Amino acid sequence: MNAVPFSPRRALLIAHNTLLEATRQKLFAFFALLALALVLGARWFRDFNFGAPELKFLADCGFGAMAFFGAALAITATVQLFFSELEHRTALTLLAKPVWRAEFILGKFLGIVALLGAFCLLLTALLATVLWWRERELMREFPEAFAPGRAISYASVAIAGLLQWLKLAVLAALTLLVASFAQTQLFTVVTGFFILVSCHLQYLAQDAYVRTGSWLGRVVGGALVSILPNFQLFALADSLAMADAPPWSQVARVALYGLGYIAAAGALAVFSFRHREL
Amino acid sequence: MPAALVANPPAVAAALELHGLVKDFAIGLRGVKLRAVDHLDLRVEPGQIYGLLGPNGSGKSTTIKLILGLLQPTAGTCRIFGVSSARVEARRDVGYLPEAPDFYRHLTGRELVRFCARLCGLGGGTLAARCADVLALVGMSEAADRRVGTYSKGMLQRLGLAQALVHDPALLILDEPTAGVDPLGAAAMAGLFLKLKAQGKTVVITSHLLAQMEEICDRVAVLDRGRLVLEGAVPDLVGREGRQALVVETLSPAELAELRAWLAARGRTLEAVETPRARLDRVFLQRLERNGRAPRP
Repeated sequence: MNAVPFSPRRALLIAHNTLLEATRQKLFAFFALLALALVLGARWFRDFNFGAPELKFLADCGFGAMAFFGAALAITATVQLFFSELEHRTALTLLAKPVWRAEFILGKFLGIVALLGAFCLLLTALLATVLWWRERELMREFPEAFAPGRAISYASVAIAGLLQWLKLAVLAALTLLVASFAQTQLFTVVTGFFILVSCHLQYLAQDAYVRTGSWLGRVVGGALVSILPNFQLFALADSLAMADAPPWSQVARVALYGLGYIAAAGALAVFSFRHREL
Repeated sequence: MPAALVANPPAVAAALELHGLVKDFAIGLRGVKLRAVDHLDLRVEPGQIYGLLGPNGSGKSTTIKLILGLLQPTAGTCRIFGVSSARVEARRDVGYLPEAPDFYRHLTGRELVRFCARLCGLGGGTLAARCADVLALVGMSEAADRRVGTYSKGMLQRLGLAQALVHDPALLILDEPTAGVDPLGAAAMAGLFLKLKAQGKTVVITSHLLAQMEEICDRVAVLDRGRLVLEGAVPDLVGREGRQALVVETLSPAELAELRAWLAARGRTLEAVETPRARLDRVFLQRLERNGRAPRP
């Protein structure tokens, strides 16, 4: 009998089904609506400090909403979409077919990444629209403040949105890794949020690693720095939104950094799920 | 025919072959293990309907999961058409209906069957026609465009059968296919299994409907606590050798006494006198059929 090779087509079929499941659920709509409300609401609950700082407030608020609700969506959607396959036993039907477990994991991940991509695209487009509209108003009201030109680089807004997506994809990959061996949804959600906080504070471990004199501190700090990605690297909104685009080399380095973590977490998730008894 | 071929005819691979299969589950931190399947040996020939019977917890579903590679055996081997079930290619020619199936509720029945068909490599112009055919075969054409979340238990079973059949597999593994299905549906499913057998397919079924299994299975295996306690062809297991039953019009006590005397004169004994009974499921189906209800799976 001929071998059944690994098929990206089957992984994409599973990804499409995962995306369809996610978008037909209320969870995605709920997070998207909350984030949209926050971005739109920022226009009205700003500090009345006219000029460029107001635009910065809008950008911060928009990317803050994207980061906060996006992280919640990345963790909960990953956990829900993975465990529903096990609890409803749809994974049994699926994996009783000529489907590799690696295709299943890759398909689930790509479906979740597509969902996060739709979320980030929607919010970035809305934020850019709000910024453009408000900037045009401010330029009319305070032409002298905008004498040097526009304050917003929309290419930078797009890049910031893209990096947010990449960061959420890294978080989803790490959550999927935990889900691949965890027995309960609750454990996976709690661990996912713990990973999120740890990755945001990873720079502290990096500082400790650099400063500490003890060998134990260097070992622990070094391990944390290697295992956990530094999510601060993806938060380029401050420097991107209000100035010219950063050098492409910097963006490429961050992208490679994120993709490296996704590949490592994905490979470990496949390894762990291959031995999981269903 | 070449002499070499006559001398060594090619061995036909069994549809399913289990050898010394063992499955232990760890149930505690101290290394305590529960043996769910205990040195199981089975061989299912192609073209048979094979019943896997046993009480709840006897290891039927665990055995099926081992066959499908969803669990890894502690010891022993399992082969599907000669290929180790640990390999993905072993599942290419297998259709599986899980126990109490629950499919993607966000899809319609047709979308689900289409999704499963595409996972099994079907595509092109024949895909839609093949999906429509299997949905019609299990009597789900009318409900095919409704969301799976709105289906009844019996409809889920029928949809499960459709997704298991869509890629035309040679081996069907059906875990309690008639659970939650009414007697009309169960009878029609039994008819469908016989039709699949006539097409040369091998069907492995677990069920608690022993009367139905007796009717449709060629062979059965009975498991208890993971061990094989009985295996064989159904007629061999249920028939009583050296015994016959004669059905006659009711005899009077005097005629019965005369019959006993006649038998005694020939060294025979009348062991039992009973009133033949029709099976309740037969009476039920005949009455409904007379009422214009045709069985559908």
